[in-house]
Amino acid sequence: MQGPQGRWFGAGHSTAPDAAKAGAEAATAACSGRTPKAVFVFASPAYDLPALIEAVRAEVGLGAAVVGGSSLGELSSEGVTKGGVAITALGGDGFEISTRVAYVGGNGHREAGAEVARAMAGIDKPHTALMLICEGMSGNPHEIVRGAYSVLGAAVPLVGGLTGNGTGPRSYQFSEDRVVSGAVVGVAIGSDAAISVGISHGWHRTEPAMVITRSQGNRILELDGEPALDVLLRRRGATTSDELFSHDVRLQALGLSRRSGADIRILTSADDVQRSVSGLAAMPQGAICWLMDGQYQDILGGAADSCAQAIAGLGGAQPLGVFTFDGGGRHGILGDAGVHEELATIKTALPGVPFGGFYSLGEIARVRGSLGTHALTLVTVALA
Amino acid sequence: MFAWSTHQLTEYFTAVNASVDEVVAIAVAVERATEMLEAEAGAVVFGDVVQGAWGFGADVPVKGLLAVAQVPGTLTVPGVGDLYAVPSGLGAALEGALVVARLEMPFEPEERQMLQGMAQVLGVALRSIRVLRDERTLRADREREATERLILLEQAQNRQRLVETLLTIQRAISNRKPLPEILDAVTSGTAALLEGAPVALILAEGGNGRRLSVASTSGADGYSLADPDSSHTEAREAMATAKVIIRPVNPHDPSRGMVIAIPVRVTGELAGSLVAQLPDAADQREQLAAFAQQVSLALTDARTVEAVRETHHDPVTGLPNRSLFLKIFNRVLASRQAATEPTSVLFIDLDRFKAVNDSLGHEAGDQLLGAVAGRIRACVRASDTTARLGGDEFAVLLHNSPVEAAASVGERVIAAIREPFRVQERDIFIGASVGVAITRAATANSDTLLSNADLAMYRAKKEGPGKVVVYEPHMHTEALNYLSLRTDLQRALQEGEFRLQYQPLVRLDTGEIAGVEALVRWHSPARGLVSPVDFIPIAEESGLIIELGQWVLETSAAQVAAWRRVSPDLTLNVNVSGIQLVHPRFAANVTRALAVAGLPSSAVTLELTESVLMSDPGAAVASLASLRELGVHLSIDDFGTGYSSLAYLRELPVDELKIDRAFIARAELTGEDLALVRTIVELGHILGLRVVAEGIENAAQLEALRRLGCSYGQGFHLCRPMNSADLPQALLRGSLTAPNSIHP
Repeated sequence: MQGPQGRWFGAGHSTAPDAAKAGAEAATAACSGRTPKAVFVFASPAYDLPALIEAVRAEVGLGAAVVGGSSLGELSSEGVTKGGVAITALGGDGFEISTRVAYVGGNGHREAGAEVARAMAGIDKPHTALMLICEGMSGNPHEIVRGAYSVLGAAVPLVGGLTGNGTGPRSYQFSEDRVVSGAVVGVAIGSDAAISVGISHGWHRTEPAMVITRSQGNRILELDGEPALDVLLRRRGATTSDELFSHDVRLQALGLSRRSGADIRILTSADDVQRSVSGLAAMPQGAICWLMDGQYQDILGGAADSCAQAIAGLGGAQPLGVFTFDGGGRHGILGDAGVHEELATIKTALPGVPFGGFYSLGEIARVRGSLGTHALTLVTVALA
Repeated sequence: MFAWSTHQLTEYFTAVNASVDEVVAIAVAVERATEMLEAEAGAVVFGDVVQGAWGFGADVPVKGLLAVAQVPGTLTVPGVGDLYAVPSGLGAALEGALVVARLEMPFEPEERQMLQGMAQVLGVALRSIRVLRDERTLRADREREATERLILLEQAQNRQRLVETLLTIQRAISNRKPLPEILDAVTSGTAALLEGAPVALILAEGGNGRRLSVASTSGADGYSLADPDSSHTEAREAMATAKVIIRPVNPHDPSRGMVIAIPVRVTGELAGSLVAQLPDAADQREQLAAFAQQVSLALTDARTVEAVRETHHDPVTGLPNRSLFLKIFNRVLASRQAATEPTSVLFIDLDRFKAVNDSLGHEAGDQLLGAVAGRIRACVRASDTTARLGGDEFAVLLHNSPVEAAASVGERVIAAIREPFRVQERDIFIGASVGVAITRAATANSDTLLSNADLAMYRAKKEGPGKVVVYEPHMHTEALNYLSLRTDLQRALQEGEFRLQYQPLVRLDTGEIAGVEALVRWHSPARGLVSPVDFIPIAEESGLIIELGQWVLETSAAQVAAWRRVSPDLTLNVNVSGIQLVHPRFAANVTRALAVAGLPSSAVTLELTESVLMSDPGAAVASLASLRELGVHLSIDDFGTGYSSLAYLRELPVDELKIDRAFIARAELTGEDLALVRTIVELGHILGLRVVAEGIENAAQLEALRRLGCSYGQGFHLCRPMNSADLPQALLRGSLTAPNSIHP
């Protein structure tokens, strides 16, 4: 789509089995012959990712920043897949782009977040946002976002997603034509026109509430003074931890009590000996939490809400394009047929607007306040 | 009102107290405070120094922060806008304030109160850190090191104890414990923290006088402030001035220690005071003040917990409620891709839920509902919607599901619910009945569909329990019939359309009529003779059974009293419904009826079915005990058809067992039948009960029962039920046992 000052946004999607072909196809569709300033690539980790990135680079030319990461599924205005590649691209004088990469293993999560936030330094546009594409398996995404916030403060919206790789121990991020792991890629976006963020989930609490009485980092040892795994098995009517965590049945999620609702944390595994459960983010001791449940229709409703919020934030301007960061757990709940229904819902909410992104292990959207990490949400970033 | 505030304060406390360094503690405190209040920015201001600035980016508005550290106001942040900013003091010993600033939304009173709590938490943490730091600076020799170790240990232990105490209280709140229990947890926690010092929580009562009363006490005995008649001087003053009051217990005797009273607020208003007596109050002041702040929030939370329940989901099961369900239903109906796509709804009603709820309590009932919700959801696809409509009713919306598939989901649900539930350490058995309604119509109405499923469920319950019934249009007609039957029944009572028949109860050894059982008959002018099987359930459902049952008792008692002038030993058996039994005035009504008729209570036996006793055993036992005291006899009807008969034979004041006709229904009794009957007869004899066999229809059965030692019997072979006019003749004939004398 083309806007004033030559700004444009495009989306492409491919399921070609060959990595290079898939990358080239999706990039060509996204750029449609235009010269991009930034290309956002979200691809299945099953691909030969270096070959895919190389093909994208060949297609888009040397001037563009090529960023992205490995996905749990790909979503764009051109389709929804698990095992494909979705590419969005933007260009024109009305946009300024600057990127940085930092490694969590270097000076820690917070410093990595702070480091990539410095990409915003050279941007001189009235509207800005920092996109963070982070390693999803690094353990403390909250700290990455806090790090970025410590540098930029409330003036710059933070958005993005955590990359995934099925059950693999590490996922992949793309930056400076390299495929890396354990990294945070920061993309500073400056624009002459408004940028707006929408976020919604569609999950609800299941009473009664519980207190995390003992935890260590991402591991919950006790809920209400009882071994956490035993509590979860009983509440969910399961007999073994395998049954509890077979994700195709139901995702296990906890919601921490927050001012305007719940901060959702996904649980991923259990320790049968220690009787503990672990998730992707820190589980604060002393916190009150609820088991969270999602129902099909509520989750679809959440998708429409997120888009509506993002559009409303543009203050009446028409959206040029939209980035979508969709919680991977939602894919699990909706199922293969359901994600098509979700795509249709998003398309209805964004008529004729190109959009693209991926199913992530966690979403980033600092819209209000200073907290910005989420799970099981749909985060949409609309560019006018 | 937000329950999240107390929830988060404990989390906040844990995070801030984990820091060992002042800079880190301040940074964590500011970050978490802004995050929890969904604020954009924050800082700590000491005098003219800003620390831990958060959310401002590169340009910290120092001047603005210094201003809002004194009084709440607006803080302008470049690139963000004008933020609402409020300061909260860190406590008397620290000249500083925690400032938090938020865009667009001003801070509500409860949020400011929570901030105050956070600031005090930070104050306590900083004081601990500074004490340690000072100790470190001063240390010169090993002795000092040893002292520090001791202090370190003590500080750490105190903090840990405080955290644990707060978690205990937090747990009490989140588990919806009764308020008195929470308050006791508060005072005992405080007392433990103060090494057993006497502690009292004094709260103002409502009304103009604002009388103070002791809500909870803990710690050493004999503490004068716990005295209900005390004037509560310090507590009253703390409330009046909103300040911490510290006074010597006796100004002339410092050794008696100090009284410290800390104001407690609920929803921002002064509501009471936490009072403690200590050897030296100054040392504990900050810690106690921070603690009182948490107490305020705990009280606020406990009192407003109802208000935060989500409006669209049922809090017990987490499922959508009726209104959300209908909304989703309408959305689904509107968005069907093809109008012919079948949409089904299941209406699920639990059997025997009320008994569990009444006997084990609401908490168990809620647990059970939660577990039921889980099982129902496990029976349906993720794309289907499950809801709790209210009480023990659930509904499931099935997308694109033909009738066979919907019915088989219903069967699965019933099978899943039939499995035992483990609640409060015991196995609970309940059941479910399911009604199914389905539509392919282009214009379908969710309300109508749901009410059709409800009708089908009602039918399933009647046929069942534990059945799935698919709605058919004729059910509507039947439902109308039911309603009209109910109306007629109401009129029948007023118009005197009921009659009684009497079935003799015969001594099997002599053939004499020992008593009669009163049986109600309804001759409706419009319907003809209506069977009790059809009208008794309706009378029970509509509550008419109370009036009808009383009429039966009064009429039959008067009749039997009259017959007893000729046959003085004649007894009366009357059937009693469960609804009558649990009616609070039942025993009184029975007494009145017998007194009016002039019939001794020892001549009356009330017959109950096992199902009556099963559905509400607690209420039944209470009512039966008082009837038994009156001298009325009790009989278990259709004995042997229930499943825990022996249990209440031991517990209930039963005098008679009636062997159900099912056991002697065969024209020729088999060895197995005989063995069963013999068991019941022997059981009756061992327990000293009168045993009556029902449904004796031929001479062979009669002979068999006689041989087994069964003393009494009823049945067509002995005598058919007869009108009151015919009975005197039968009584005069004496023996009925010769078959010829029974059937003319």
